[in-house]
Amino acid sequence: MSQQQMGATRRRASTYYMERIYPYISILPVALVIALFAIYPIIHAVRMSFYQYLLTRPNIHPFVGLGNFIDVITSYYFRNSIQVTAIYTIATVIGVIIYGLGVALLMNSGVRMSIPLKIVILLPWALPAVVSGLLWKWILNADFGILNGILYSIGLIDSYIPFLANPTTAKVALIMAHIWKEGPLVAIFFLAGLQLIPDELYEAARIDGGGGWRIFRHVTLPLLRPVFLVVIVYETMTAILTFDTIYVMTGGGPADATALISWFAYAEIFKSLNLGRGIALAIIIAMISLVLIILYLRVLRTEETAVQN
Amino acid sequence: MNAKTKQKINSFVLNFLALLFIIFIVGPLIWVAVASIQGESELLRKPQRVFPENPTLDNYNYVFTGKIPTTLEVKGQTIRSRISQEARLIPAALKNSFIVATAVMGINLLFGTLGAYTFSRLRFRGKIVTFNFFLGSRLIPVIAVAIPYYVIIQTMGLLDTYLSLILVYLALTLPFTIWFLTLYFNGIPEDFEDAALIDGCSRFQALVRVVLPIALPGLVAAAAFAFMTSYNEFLFARFLTQSIATHTGPVIIASIAGNPDASYTLISVAMTLGLIPPLILALVLRRWLTEGLSTSVTFR
Repeated sequence: MSQQQMGATRRRASTYYMERIYPYISILPVALVIALFAIYPIIHAVRMSFYQYLLTRPNIHPFVGLGNFIDVITSYYFRNSIQVTAIYTIATVIGVIIYGLGVALLMNSGVRMSIPLKIVILLPWALPAVVSGLLWKWILNADFGILNGILYSIGLIDSYIPFLANPTTAKVALIMAHIWKEGPLVAIFFLAGLQLIPDELYEAARIDGGGGWRIFRHVTLPLLRPVFLVVIVYETMTAILTFDTIYVMTGGGPADATALISWFAYAEIFKSLNLGRGIALAIIIAMISLVLIILYLRVLRTEETAVQN
Repeated sequence: MNAKTKQKINSFVLNFLALLFIIFIVGPLIWVAVASIQGESELLRKPQRVFPENPTLDNYNYVFTGKIPTTLEVKGQTIRSRISQEARLIPAALKNSFIVATAVMGINLLFGTLGAYTFSRLRFRGKIVTFNFFLGSRLIPVIAVAIPYYVIIQTMGLLDTYLSLILVYLALTLPFTIWFLTLYFNGIPEDFEDAALIDGCSRFQALVRVVLPIALPGLVAAAAFAFMTSYNEFLFARFLTQSIATHTGPVIIASIAGNPDASYTLISVAMTLGLIPPLILALVLRRWLTEGLSTSVTFR
C-alpha cells in the first residue's frame, strides 16, 4: 500500500470515529446541566420527604416514613388549598379560553382595530409575573386604586371597596390578573390554529348556507380541537403552579382564600420552616401534575387514532 | 336591513370589541407609568386623576441620583425610611437581571442549537430516552426542588453569584430551547445540507454554514424566550441571591412593594423601569415571537 493510500484510510477511520461520537459530544453540555439539576434534586427531595426536617430544630432529623404525607393530607390547609386550587384552575382555564379565543377571532377578522390589537397582545405575557401581579394590586388598592377612583367618579360606588380584603373579590381579582397575563399566549395559540383552517372550508360552508354562528360551531370549533387540548393542559399546569402573582398580590389571604397549593407548599417550607412536610406536599403536587399529563397524552392519542381511522 | 348596513354594523361591533381588549391590555401599563410621574399627594388624592395635573420626573430623579422629590416631603419622616432608599437599588438590580439573562440567552443559543440539530438530524443510541429525559425534567414543580437546588449551589460555593442564577436558569430554559429548535430544524428540508455534506463539510460545518442562516427566525425566538424566562424569574432569584450584588429586578421590585410604608410613586417608578426591557423586546421581536409561539402548537 502506498503512503498516500494509508493516509486516506487513517483519515477515513478518524472521520468515522468522529461521526460516531459527535452526537454525544454535541448534547453533552446540555445533558450535564439538566442532569445536575434533575437527578440529584429529585432523589434529595424524595429522601427529605420521609424525614422530619424542621429548620427550628436543625440537628434532629428523625425518619418519619409517610408521616409527612399523612400530616399534609389530613390537615385543614390541604383540603382548603385543594378546593381553592380547583376553583382557581377551572375559572382561569375557562377564562383564558374565552378571552384567548375572542381575541384570536378579532385578530383574525381583519377589521381595522385588529392591527393595534396584534401589536399590543404580547405585552402582558412578556412581563415578570411579579410586576403584573403588582400592577393589579395597585389598580385594585382600597386607598388609591384607580379602579376605585373611576367607579367613584362615575358614581357607581359611594366609598372605596377593599377588593383584596374580601375572600370572594380577592379570588376574582387574582383570576382576572391571571387571565390578563396568560390570555395573550392562548390568543396567539388560537390564532395559529385559525390560520391553519383553509379558506375553502369556510367558502364551502357558506355555499351550503351556513350562517356565522353555525360555521363557527361546525367548522371552526372542531378544527381547533388540537389547540384546545394543548391550551387546556398547559393552562391547567400554569394555574396549579401559580406562585409569583399570589406572593405579591394577596400572600394567600384573606383567610386563606387565595392559598393555592403551591403557595401552601411555599409557606410550609419558607414560613413554617417545615421542610420535610413542604417537600412532601410538593411531591403530591408533582403527582397531580403527572396524572393530568398522562390523562392528556391519552386523550391526545385517542384523538390521533380517531383522525387516522 | 340590507346586507351593506348589516356588514357596517358588524365591523363597527368588531372594532369596538377590539378597542375594549386593547384598553384592557394596555390600561394597567399606562396607569403605572402615569402613577410614576405623579407627586405622592396627587396620587393619594380621592378620587385620583387619570391624567396627572403636575407631571414630574422627580421620582425618577430620586431613583437615579438620590435627590429627594419635593412632593414626598409632605410624608415627613417616612421619606427617610429604608424603603425609599431601596428604590434606589432598582437600576443595579435591573443590571443584574440583564447580565444573567444575556448570559443564559447566549449559552442557550450555543448549546441549544448544537444539541437540537443532533436530535433533529442524527440517529444514535439513547436518543429518544435522552430527549424525553430533557423534556421530563421540566415537569417537576420548582417548589419541590427549591431546597435541593439551594443545597447544590451552596455545595458548589456559588451562593450570591451570577453563576448560580445562570446555572439554574439554564436548567429551566435548555429543555424548552432544545425541544423548540428540534421542531424548528425538523421543518427545514435536509436537501441543502446533503449537498454540503457531499462536498466534504462535516456535520458541524453543515450546521453553521447551511442550516443556521435558514433557521434564523427560530433562533431569534428561542433566544428571546430564554432571555425573558431568566429576566422574569422570581422564586429562585428570591433565595439564591443574598445581596444587591446579585438581587435581580423582580426580587427588588417585590421587596420594595412588600413594604407597607412604601412610597407608591417610587414603587411605580421601580415597576415602570422593570417592565420597559421586556416590553421593548416584545414589541421589537413581535413577529418572531408570534411565529415561534405559533410553531410550538402547530408543529407535531
